[in-house]
Formats: sequence, structure tokens, C-alpha cells
Amino acid sequence: MDFKDYYAVLGVSESASPEDIKKAYRKLARKYHPDVSKEDDADAKFKDLGEAYEVLKDPEKRAEYDELRKYGARPDGSFEPPPGWQSASGFGRGGYTDADARQFSDFFEEIFGGGRGGNSGQGFSGGRGFRQSNRMRGEDVHARLALFLEEVFQGCEKQVSFRVHEADDHGRIVARQKNLKVKIPAGMREGQHLRLKGQGSPGIGGGEAGDLLIEVELAPHPLFSVEGRDVVVTVPIAPWEAALGAQITVPTVGSRVKVKVPRGSSGGRRLRLKGKGLPGKHPGDQIVLLQIVMPEQHSEQAEKLYQALAEAEVNFNPRSKLHV
Amino acid sequence: MTRKDSILTVDVDEPQMTLTLREICERGECHAEFVIKLVSYGIIAPVEEGPEERQWQFDLAALARLRKAQRLQHDLNINLPGLAMSLDLLDEVQQMRREVDRLNQQLRQLMGEW
Repeated sequence: MDFKDYYAVLGVSESASPEDIKKAYRKLARKYHPDVSKEDDADAKFKDLGEAYEVLKDPEKRAEYDELRKYGARPDGSFEPPPGWQSASGFGRGGYTDADARQFSDFFEEIFGGGRGGNSGQGFSGGRGFRQSNRMRGEDVHARLALFLEEVFQGCEKQVSFRVHEADDHGRIVARQKNLKVKIPAGMREGQHLRLKGQGSPGIGGGEAGDLLIEVELAPHPLFSVEGRDVVVTVPIAPWEAALGAQITVPTVGSRVKVKVPRGSSGGRRLRLKGKGLPGKHPGDQIVLLQIVMPEQHSEQAEKLYQALAEAEVNFNPRSKLHV
Repeated sequence: MTRKDSILTVDVDEPQMTLTLREICERGECHAEFVIKLVSYGIIAPVEEGPEERQWQFDLAALARLRKAQRLQHDLNINLPGLAMSLDLLDEVQQMRREVDRLNQQLRQLMGEW
């Protein structure tokens, strides 16, 4: 088991005052709250913070922890509590904390013991246990699922893995990994929720099973971006195609279409292809964003033609908006 | 203690499912007063807002938002006006992050870095 340095987690020194610890915790809790932070490991960091604060805010637990920190930590970073160690602060049974100790680490469990065992009796659903009846609906499982744009267009089958909580033969609540293959219909939107009835945690005492609720996200695509219901694609064209107009082929999601570039198009011009955006009752459009690109090298003949062009268009000032 | 189970293919049902006030309380593990307060602060809204609370119907996005509100309130000790503002700002931040990602992608493409 690894030793957890709660002082390092909160970024405070061993001699920090309770006020400093509270301040550090509050600041970091705001920063790493999984609903606020976009860092990948925010969830784990937030849990560590809660655990560290749970110990350091309590003078009794902090004293015990300091003792262990002195004697229990090994040079290689692993940790074993001294033989016969027993916590006097007996976390989790006195009910003086509202933290959900089931979330805490093995390290915490080893030192302050009884946390998870003590709490799991309270309720199936996150320890808030307000229902008194023995018959309980299983908890809903909330999950996120990222879909590629192609999958949004065509619908798809996705495998999802998630954890449910259920009672074992002895009535203890245990976690179980569940795998499902889910058929996702075409036309999902970002932020839309899907419900899979009865696929969450099983109920207790004949209660109904919870649901699996999936929130859909869009995975970034290398070619297409999404603006509301519209799909945007940047399409490079040659200067002469922009000047003379052209019939070009552009990619759509899962296919391609022919598009007419109007004569005299500037870079940045947006062409709208009706109904080629996100599918649905009111399908979006595909927007073709024109980008004028130059060949890396011009032939001698081309340079001469440009020279002639420069002479023919001598009155054109591309920088007129800059007043120069 | 985990055991793996075989893969089951499941069809998604009722993507447009709604929840009554009672159901959203049950799933959110909270009292109706809390939901009513969230509605009055504009933090969540029933699909169709009527004067009769018993007739309110909530979509699944409202349930997800209710749970987010609960987490923020519990973890950061935020009161209701603060919660309403935090969630609005978080929405705005999320929208802006998405916008920045999208614009960055278009910019990279315009610069020829595909």
C-alpha cells in the first residue's frame, strides 16, 4: 500500500494551522471539483482532497496521522501501519462527518478503518439513506459516451462498461462491473440523454432496478466541426477556382457531394448545403468554408500570367479596409 | 469483488422519457421542496412549466442538472443563489470551451495544418 501524504495533497506544511488547512482545501476543492474542472484526473484529485481534509481538519485524526507518518512510511514510499495499530478516532461510526467514506482509499481504510463498513449500512444510494423501507429501488447509473460524427449520422452499436452496486449473499453492498452493448439510434445530439431501463443497479428486497442513463458527447473530428446542428468543413480551393468559379467535390460525413464554387469567391466564404448537417427531425446544414491556397511553387509560365494579372488589376487594393 | 458478465445487446428505449416531480425526487434522492426551489431559481425547468407542481414533467437533462446541483451544494457548500450563478457560469464556460476548440480547429485548417 502506498503512503498518502495528505499535507502534500493539500499543498500545506506539516505545521499548517487548521485555518490554513481549511483555506487550502476550499480553494483546491473549487479548482478540482469534477463538475468544474476539465482536467482528466479531476475526479481522483477531488477524492484525494476530500480524504486529506477529512483527516487533517480533525485534530484527533491529524495527530494519529502525524504519528503514523513518522513511523509507518518506508523509504520506498510504501506503507504498513505499525503492528497492533488501532485508530482511536474510529471513523465512520460516530456520524460526526457527512463525507462518504466509501470513496476513500485503502490507505485511509487501513488507518481509520470501519469507514466503508460503517457507512454501507446506511443506504444503498450514496449514504444519504433517507428511505426507511427495506424495499429499495436500485440506484441509477450515470455515464457519458463519446460518439464520432459518423456514428451520430448512421447510428451505431457501442460497448459500455460501468459499475453497479448490488447486495451479495451476505447482504453486503459490492461493486460489480457490467458490460453492455448498446444500440444507439442515428441523430443523437450532444448533451442528449439515453435511458436504458432496468440496466442500473439491481433493487433490494424486490425493489425495481435502477436505470442506466447515458449522456451523449461528440468526439472531435479531424475534418468536421459542429456548430449547433450544422457541420462545418474547411475546403481548400485554388486561386483560379475562386476567380473563375468551379465545380468541386467536397466531403460530407460518410459521403461526398459536388458543389459549385461561385465565380469571384473570397477566402472565408461560407457555402451552405441544405440538410447535410446533423440528422434529425430538423436536420442541420453542412457549411463549406472556402480557403484559398497557393501551390508551393509556381511554374515560370504561371508567374508570367500572375505578372499580367497584376498589370490588368492595378486598381484593386486588397487592403482598402486598412486605409493603406 | 467484481465479476464480468457477458455482453448483452440493448436497444435504447424512450429517449424522450420524462419524469414527474415525485420520480425526479426519488431518483435524485431529495425532497420535493428542493426541486421546487431549483425551479424557482431557474436552475432546472420542467418541460412545460405550469402552476400545478404535480403536473410538472422533467427530462433526463434536468435530472443530470439536479444531481450536479446537489454535488456542488454538498461539496462546496453553496447556497441556492450561488448555485444558480455557478451553474449558469459553468454552462457558459462549457459553451466557450467548445467554441474555442471549434475555432482553433478551423484556424489550424486555415493555416494549412490539417
